Amino acid sequence: MELPANTRAAFLFLKNEYLPIPVISTTPATRMSKQILKELPELVRANVIGEETAQRIVAYYQDQPNPTTNRLLVVFGILGGLLIGMGIVLIVAHNWDELPKAMKLGIGLLPLLVGQGIAGYIVVKNIQSRAWREGCGAFLCFAIALSISIVGQVYNIEGNFGRFLMAWMLLTLPCIYVLRSSVTAMLYIVGVTWYACEVGYFSYNFMEGSRAPWKYGPMLMLVLPFCYTEFILPGIKNNFYYFISWLLVLSLTVCLGTFQGSDQLLMMAYMSLFSLFILLSEIRLFETQRVLTNAFLVVGSLGIMISLLILSFEWYWEDIYDHSTLHALAGVETFVPGAVTLMAIALLFVVLRTKLPAAINLKAYAFLVFIALFLLGIKMPGAAQLLVNLVVLVFAVYTIRDGARKNHLGILNYGLLIITGLIACRFFDTNFSFVLRGLLFIGVGVGFFAANIYMIKKRKQSA
Amino acid sequence: MKTFAIILFVFMCVAQWVVPGKMIYDSESVVTSGTVYNFKTQPIDPSDPFRGKYITLSFEANRIDPPGDHPWQYNEEVYVTFMQDSAGFATPASISTTPPAEGAYLYTKVSYVDSGLSSPVGFELPFDRFYLEESKASEAEKAYWEAQRDSTQVAYGVVRIGAGNAVLTDVMINDRSIVEVVKAMNRTPE
Repeated sequence: MELPANTRAAFLFLKNEYLPIPVISTTPATRMSKQILKELPELVRANVIGEETAQRIVAYYQDQPNPTTNRLLVVFGILGGLLIGMGIVLIVAHNWDELPKAMKLGIGLLPLLVGQGIAGYIVVKNIQSRAWREGCGAFLCFAIALSISIVGQVYNIEGNFGRFLMAWMLLTLPCIYVLRSSVTAMLYIVGVTWYACEVGYFSYNFMEGSRAPWKYGPMLMLVLPFCYTEFILPGIKNNFYYFISWLLVLSLTVCLGTFQGSDQLLMMAYMSLFSLFILLSEIRLFETQRVLTNAFLVVGSLGIMISLLILSFEWYWEDIYDHSTLHALAGVETFVPGAVTLMAIALLFVVLRTKLPAAINLKAYAFLVFIALFLLGIKMPGAAQLLVNLVVLVFAVYTIRDGARKNHLGILNYGLLIITGLIACRFFDTNFSFVLRGLLFIGVGVGFFAANIYMIKKRKQSA
Repeated sequence: MKTFAIILFVFMCVAQWVVPGKMIYDSESVVTSGTVYNFKTQPIDPSDPFRGKYITLSFEANRIDPPGDHPWQYNEEVYVTFMQDSAGFATPASISTTPPAEGAYLYTKVSYVDSGLSSPVGFELPFDRFYLEESKASEAEKAYWEAQRDSTQVAYGVVRIGAGNAVLTDVMINDRSIVEVVKAMNRTPE
């Protein structure tokens, strides 16, 4: 019989107060071990374990390195390196014109010397401390930016920001490998993305439009061996892995648009990229415990659904119904969309070697569906647009079923959200009467309630 | 593994010094042995996240009537030489696709082409930034605009040009450095 909560509390209090408590020193290390160590006196008193075993458990936890303190040290090391580096950059940007040229150069280049000195010490002494490696990497990254900037400032060298970013990142790259620093890798990915955006989006030239940042691809690839040896090969999925994978996925998503040809083909490139992400999330190496930590799955799935919702409007298909699309297909603009699509097809074959076609996330096939719709749309845009609505509906139902099967409320509600999105989009451009639209919304609302209640009940039954 | 890390470390250090070192060497050799030209200019005042406040200069001597009938292309690499006009300011003397055998010349790119064979060709002047102390940049701009209103004042950039490279060493308003002008402005109450 279960005692009422307050009676139970009083009972436990009395028990602890009046029974002799074995003396065990506890120096807790983690939340988990803290809990265990707290329970030890109780376990000894109840004769579950002996005094000696309890002492051994305490000794075990005392010998363990303290991960909480370690993690804090790493965080402070990184923050320290970043803040000091950025602070020095800002102070030097003030441009002290009272100082002679040589002294300005000396002050601007000193952080590089200090950063390299610390890095050298870490490498030669083979220091394993994560805090030191990450902090030094972050600092050195900004010291490099400073060393180039100070020379530009002193000699009034013309600013081509794209070229500056490229030089900065290429000089930062070796730090990632020398220090095995994940933070430097993250800064590198951000910097390379910034470079691509600077060249592809921000430097619009009226004579030649914007240029495609072709060096972005190879530069991004240079960080992959680090990710492979640091995370994939040893099978480590820590916070650094999550951050880096999110940054990589977002970087690719943002920068693909810089290789712009026509809007029609850009959409094909994006559909293939998002399918590629989903296919990657299907590979064992990239699987994670939680949905949100799997950037490939989250960005891929959201990207596909948003793209399809955009495609459910008329304007995309109006533009495609044009001979220029066929010309574009034959031109150089197809290179990037074609390459991404080929990669997605190749990966699909790789995944199919280990999994059954039905076992793969249905959204992974979105790019093939899109290609079929694209070809249909050139001749019959209306039919293609209608079919997109159907595809969204199928994906939504699949997602809801997937959520129910995995007993995951998040996935289930995501599926319902897709349907809501579809209805909201149609709200604007259909001739349905207000009553019908109202009924549709009520229907989906009831669906939300019913599905969630069903799921919660199912959980309670199985518990 | 450690040996590899050390080799990579040495390579990293060398590379990280070569880039700023080369920039210093190139600029310093122009500053010490380049020819001085004064370019008439119009400055404005933006800022750069890494290098701080600067004034952007817009030079007048950025186009030339090319001799011959070479079909100039946008972004084409060119070599431009300069001479002094009667007022002592730089003016383009020649433009070609090959570097001159001797004398000071600027390596740059064509920025603008008019239709027609003998119409003027515009080229980039890659020394359009002059970095100033943060507090002085907007004051400097004010000084410049005052100089603009007063037609007796003249603003120009002092540029040293060597074999291909150029370094902007100062910006002058009526033969006084803009830094000195701003200092004087700060000393005298409004």
